Amino acid sequence: MFSGLWKRFQIFFSNARNRNITIAIVALLILSVLPWFRVGPPHVELAAESLLEHGPKWFTNGLLTTLLVDLVIILLAVFAVFRMKEVPGAWQNIVEMLIEGMWNLTQSIAGHGSANSRKFFPWVMTIFIFVLISNYIGLLPGFGSIGVWHSATGENHALVELGNQVAMAGGDAIAATAPAEEGAEVFVPLFRSPSADLNMTGALALISVFMTQFYGVQALGVGYFSKFFKNPFKDAMGAVVGFFELIAEISKIISFSFRLFGNIFAGEVVLLVMAFLVTFLLPSVFYGLELFIGFIQALVFMLLTLAFFTMATVSHDDHH
Amino acid sequence: MDALDKLGISWELLLSQIVNFGLLMVILQQLLYKPVLNMLEQRKQRIAQGLEQADQASHAAAEAEAEKQTILEEVRREAQEVRAQATRDAERIAQDVRSRADQEAQDIRMKAQADAEAQTAAVMADARKQIADLAIAATEQILGRELANRAEQERFVADYLAQQNGSGS
Repeated sequence: MFSGLWKRFQIFFSNARNRNITIAIVALLILSVLPWFRVGPPHVELAAESLLEHGPKWFTNGLLTTLLVDLVIILLAVFAVFRMKEVPGAWQNIVEMLIEGMWNLTQSIAGHGSANSRKFFPWVMTIFIFVLISNYIGLLPGFGSIGVWHSATGENHALVELGNQVAMAGGDAIAATAPAEEGAEVFVPLFRSPSADLNMTGALALISVFMTQFYGVQALGVGYFSKFFKNPFKDAMGAVVGFFELIAEISKIISFSFRLFGNIFAGEVVLLVMAFLVTFLLPSVFYGLELFIGFIQALVFMLLTLAFFTMATVSHDDHH
Repeated sequence: MDALDKLGISWELLLSQIVNFGLLMVILQQLLYKPVLNMLEQRKQRIAQGLEQADQASHAAAEAEAEKQTILEEVRREAQEVRAQATRDAERIAQDVRSRADQEAQDIRMKAQADAEAQTAAVMADARKQIADLAIAATEQILGRELANRAEQERFVADYLAQQNGSGS
């Protein structure tokens, strides 16, 4: 039995490609545990940090990256529509495919050829592209690793403490090394995925929920709000349900913003923790996962917004 | 507010993100969505038009094919007619030739027969005459004298021969 196994090993290693890959994997795993290649404990920071130590507090890495994302999206768009041709080039083709796919999706939910589809499309399409690029840009090398050192003073100190508290959840090893940072200098990454900044996710959530109310009122008039406020003396049950509807509507802001933030922020933490545990190979697996999650979250944000828009334009009284 | 601060949420940043999104949406709507959707619509119409033209072309081709078939059919029928006519003519001519040949052959045969009959008759008459002469001569020899009334004797023999010939044949 063992000789058979040995035989198969020999056949496996007689292939140069198999042998090289195996050697590379083993070498990378060995290098991962050597002290020179160890990655430091993850820099975990819930809030986007100010880049300039003495400058305006609002100039955060999240804001900088948002502008970068805008630039990337506009450049990609310009490349796609620059000298647009009837017979599309490769990039034009890809962008057309994306937009047509989303346009068909929008129509399938909001109604084919309906005015609603045309109204909703720019909102949900922009949400999708913006969120997708925001999610993916955080996966680029240099994000979280290129940055500046700030002296730990005042409010920064509090942020470090919070960061350490979060870091402790990662395990004893992180907690043991974390206190060394305290009191010294604080590392502030230059870039931060906008999706991992609650300001961005919150802004999109506010836009989504506000526009839902806007389209509801546009479609149904003031009667739209009757689903929240019913006369308790006429319809006691309806009034209670309406109250819950109102709470659900407000909590959408929280669910929208924290769903995206949580997924992307946690994904980045996972990547950092994996890199901290095993420097090579292990993070690669999670990069694949993060690519998937980044796409799904963009799609979820878009589809939920689209569904809420569409639901808001439908009168609920008709069903009774 | 302290909790929001720790999460990094500030109204300035929130507002900036909202404005950013709005601007991005307007820019993309003008720069990307409208041209791309227009292009898609344009291409859709172009393809529909192309398909329609292809349809028309194939229709025309089918019509041309049908026309070709009718023309070929007509030509074939005409050829058939011409051939039939030619065959009929040839047959008629052949018939003529044959009947004329038959007629001539008939004529020749009739003439030959008539000649043969005439010859036979002449020979017979000649033979009769000689037989009669011989018979009279033989009789004279036997009787030892010339028969009187020679003319009557000749008539008598000729009558006899004629009678023999008539009952014999």
